[in-house]
Amino acid sequence: MPGGCMSGGSMYKLLAIGFSAGGMPLASGILAALPGDYPLAIAIVTHLPAGQDSVLAEMLDRVSSLPVAMVIDKTPIQPGHVYVAPPDYHLLVENRDRFALSIDAPVLSVRPSIDVLLETAAEAFEDSLIALTLSGANSDGACGMARAHELGAMTIALSPLKTDFRTLPDAVLAAVDVDYIADQDEIIALLCAAGECA
Amino acid sequence: MAVIKWRNHHLEDIEIALLLEAMKARYGYDFSNYAHASLKRRLKQLRDYFDVPHLSHLIPSLLYDERVAQVIINNISVLASDFFRDPPVWRYLRDEILPRLATFPRINIWQAGCGRGQETYSLLILLHECGLLDKTRLVATDINVSAMDEARAGRWSARDLDRWRTSYLAAGGQGHFDDYFQREGDTVMMVEHLRQKVEFNQHNLVTDEVFMEAQFIVCRNVLIYFDDTLQERVLELFGRSLQRGGYLLLGRAENVLQSSLAGRCFQKIDAGCNVLRRTAEVAHAGVAHVEVAHAGGLHVGGQHV
Repeated sequence: MPGGCMSGGSMYKLLAIGFSAGGMPLASGILAALPGDYPLAIAIVTHLPAGQDSVLAEMLDRVSSLPVAMVIDKTPIQPGHVYVAPPDYHLLVENRDRFALSIDAPVLSVRPSIDVLLETAAEAFEDSLIALTLSGANSDGACGMARAHELGAMTIALSPLKTDFRTLPDAVLAAVDVDYIADQDEIIALLCAAGECA
Repeated sequence: MAVIKWRNHHLEDIEIALLLEAMKARYGYDFSNYAHASLKRRLKQLRDYFDVPHLSHLIPSLLYDERVAQVIINNISVLASDFFRDPPVWRYLRDEILPRLATFPRINIWQAGCGRGQETYSLLILLHECGLLDKTRLVATDINVSAMDEARAGRWSARDLDRWRTSYLAAGGQGHFDDYFQREGDTVMMVEHLRQKVEFNQHNLVTDEVFMEAQFIVCRNVLIYFDDTLQERVLELFGRSLQRGGYLLLGRAENVLQSSLAGRCFQKIDAGCNVLRRTAEVAHAGVAHVEVAHAGGLHVGGQHV
């Protein structure tokens, strides 16, 4: 089971979160609960209707004690910062230091795609990644979770019983044997515990 | 020899390096300074397309079969775009930039990375509606010849027409969007008088030189596919091509000013739309000499090895 504290080592570096329909209150609640000295960098991809997507960073910034910014190309990945994908671009993890963007074709008809973030994050961070999916009405995210799990990341899926939009959690659970199936409070507890290890 | 267990995706990185080396040695196309994560995703799609277990299986194929190489080049280099992508940017061009360009006696525009041409013709429509077409020379370039052939033909699937029309209207379009096209079954074709107004030339930003003095360069969402080294080269190229006081339009989420030496020659004039103005002389860092070729004498990118 991943998630064990390695003595003196910094286990987790990046938390990657994906959600679509119904996920905004969950994500806001989770970000609001993380302490201001949270040591992981946090990357967020969500599918929002055009117009709402550009204010996502502002909305999250209001609830979080961590600084939230929209990624521009090659933005450095810094601990304790929250990064959201810009509208209509895929967000990729270029390496352990920086993000990258692309306008490649939509994946499962969405851009940004959760799969693209999680797959590239998994390759760059392997077992120092935490991959988290919340609710959604699209299965984008399931392949990314499978890849994250394969490369040793901690994988957490919102329980399908805790949302009206369970296409995403159902697809994740069908694709991969995640480490944790959790409700919002349990997710917060897991993330805080992982932060203690970092 | 110690046997070390390698994770497959690290092996893939080795395969990608070997494949790019083969492509460069055999065809002169150098993709080694492309941004890694997006390049890797595209190459892995090719592995699935050719139905081979590993990317390295493509190396003998690409060396001996130019058609395979062409598919790989197309897959790596084709840019996706739309008519009037990011309408606020086009509205800003219409309201702020084109009136400033109109003060130049002649307007030379270089669109770098034209892909299949949707953005090129968006620009033409805008110039047409602003009454600037007659004093403008528009040169659109791309590394990818087959995409550029499609751009030259000016024909696309009609599937996306509704979305494009919506963007056109949001961008402040003043005519009827559909009047710019002829409908032919499932496709739409750009009207002849606009198609004639653009020159398409192959140009590889990795290896080719400046070929015109421009007052306006449009290069949106190309630099995101390049690493720092290549971004620096391209920006330096743009700096030398642009007349002082000329404008550079980049993609909305692109960023070149922080780290780049060549970026210092530019000043951002609109943060939201990412329009830059060339203000200072360009430092010729690492550039041995400057070749200015005539547009007709562009050497063919990638073929000159």
